[in-house]
Amino acid sequence: MAKLTMAQALNQALREAMDEDDAVLVLGEDVGVDGGVFRVTEGLLDRFGAARAIDTPLAESAIVGVSIGMAAHGLRPVCEIQFSGFSYLAMQQLEGHAARLRWRSRGRFSASLVMRMPYGGGVRALEHHSESKEVYFAHTPGLKLVAPSGPRNARALLRAAIRDPDPVVFLEPKRLYRAFREEVPDDDEPMALGESQTRREGNDLTLISWGAMLQPTLKAAEQLAKEGTEAEVIDLLSLSPLDDTRLADSARRTGRVVIVHEAHRSYGPGAEVIARLVEKAFWYLEAPIARVTGYDTQVPFFARETDYLPDVARIVTSAHQVLEA
Amino acid sequence: MILIRYVEQSLLRLYAQGLMGGTVHTCIGQEGCAVGVVSAIDRQRDMLFSNHRGHGHYLAYCGDIHGLIAEIMGLPIGVCGGMGGSQHIQRENFYTNGIQGAGVPIAVGMGLAERFKGTGAVSLAFLGDGTFGEGAVYEAMNLAALWSAPTLFVVEHNGYAQSTPSSLQHAGDLSRRAEPFGIPVTRTEGADVIAVFEVANRLLGQIRAGKGPRLLFLDTHRFAPHSKGDDFRDREELERINRECDPIQRLAAQIGADTYEQVRKAAEIEVDIVLQELGVQ
Ligand SMILES: Cc1ncc(C[n+]2csc(CCOP(=O)(O)OP(=O)(O)O)c2C)c(N)n1
Ligand SMILES: [Mg+2]
Repeated sequence: MAKLTMAQALNQALREAMDEDDAVLVLGEDVGVDGGVFRVTEGLLDRFGAARAIDTPLAESAIVGVSIGMAAHGLRPVCEIQFSGFSYLAMQQLEGHAARLRWRSRGRFSASLVMRMPYGGGVRALEHHSESKEVYFAHTPGLKLVAPSGPRNARALLRAAIRDPDPVVFLEPKRLYRAFREEVPDDDEPMALGESQTRREGNDLTLISWGAMLQPTLKAAEQLAKEGTEAEVIDLLSLSPLDDTRLADSARRTGRVVIVHEAHRSYGPGAEVIARLVEKAFWYLEAPIARVTGYDTQVPFFARETDYLPDVARIVTSAHQVLEA
Repeated sequence: MILIRYVEQSLLRLYAQGLMGGTVHTCIGQEGCAVGVVSAIDRQRDMLFSNHRGHGHYLAYCGDIHGLIAEIMGLPIGVCGGMGGSQHIQRENFYTNGIQGAGVPIAVGMGLAERFKGTGAVSLAFLGDGTFGEGAVYEAMNLAALWSAPTLFVVEHNGYAQSTPSSLQHAGDLSRRAEPFGIPVTRTEGADVIAVFEVANRLLGQIRAGKGPRLLFLDTHRFAPHSKGDDFRDREELERINRECDPIQRLAAQIGADTYEQVRKAAEIEVDIVLQELGVQ
């Protein structure tokens, strides 16, 4: 058992997967010599050689396209896009082919690839380097979409994503890469894609979040506890498929729900969560469901980034409104 | 060029002091490309689409040190209100963008718009050698040649994209990639600012005369790391290029020590004044 940062835990997951299965390889811009922008692929070139830790040209579309071809013919590519803001160049391959191969071939082929990419704000970066556009991927049938919230589940989820027969978009909250350490067990820890987790139990209110926003959400729950409100906190982990059973169970119990995400508000992931809760728990709700989100504008550069990102104060205010409604 | 270098060095310093966000890609070593090309444009009407390594292009275009540094510090008085940062600067006919290759078709479109209006303006698209990996570059070149766009493609070939050398990224001869589209390529050494200026001037004249797009392929060297991080390149090789390929030293030899010292001093004072105005060092 070692205490690892999320970057180290992801690195461990890649190493383990590559040790275990020769078909697993990594490719992307600067993933070899450099070990990736955030050093997640560090050491893989030395351990597995240039045929399995591949430095590519700047060519996002080809990186994903080649990964689809490799996957269709038996390999298990894990490709890295340096920042999620660069992934739109590969959207045609991802949406038009990775997501559709299984459906089109009536299950005979599948694109068992993982597309890893850092996403989200909080690292004082600019525009494309700070955004959270989960919905582009979650809206696409045929893709799975997961986002870890710490070192331990990052490692377990990445192992599961690599084993998964379908294309998995793996969003790594970049502000968590080195934010804290966690014990990561030496043994492989099975974890299913498509399951959320309850991170804190409570009966007064349900707070739902994922990725980097889980930290302020948990802090808000602690603050609310001091006021005598016990909030349940659910970590989605998987946005597609979405584990709405756990969400609905909790909402039925508390009757009050706040969703926290850094993505833009309109058509954001929160909207889908709300729709599911309306479908499955409407008659149990005591108050309108609230959203604490980023705004409908590009993420501003670092000096005003904190105004954009949800924080503890905004979450607590929103919780108060939902409790008082 | 000296002014650009002082600004870039200040940016690296300010970054290390935690006064800036994002990252900074400096053009230290490549100033000859920026100054040579941009000095040849018609600032009243030509359009310039720069890239992530664009501070030199910007300063050569308008000399706005204050707006640039303030922008990268995220201040509301920055050229884009501190919202865009180093890679997302727009002012007059100057644009940048952090997505590699994205500006190339846009620049072609700008050129086409101006040709449609009959203004005689030329658009310029700056790109690095690594950016030849992106498909949009080829789509843009094809359209530019097919529709005879008044566009000058300027390639700054520094041999690397981040940590990855050109030889690991590109098959064949990069300098000839545009030729099959019927775009004439002129290759020049970026460290010789006067030669760059003369060639750019000639190519811009051809484009303005309606001869279609041209590509200027500049061999150059990045002296500093890709951004502010690690540099994996060979130390001795770095020392050699610093000694032999510095555009500023080349120019100093051409203009003589006295003139050089005057220019250097003036640039130093100008940058210092801006830093003082911004309350930083
Ligand atoms: C679409 C896209 N992919 C990746 C990046 C990250 N990135 C920024 S600069 C760079 C290398 C660019 O190399 P080159 O074009 O040679 O320009 P240089 O940095 O050498 O000036 C990379 C990969 C990006 N900005 N945009
Ligand atoms: Mg380069």
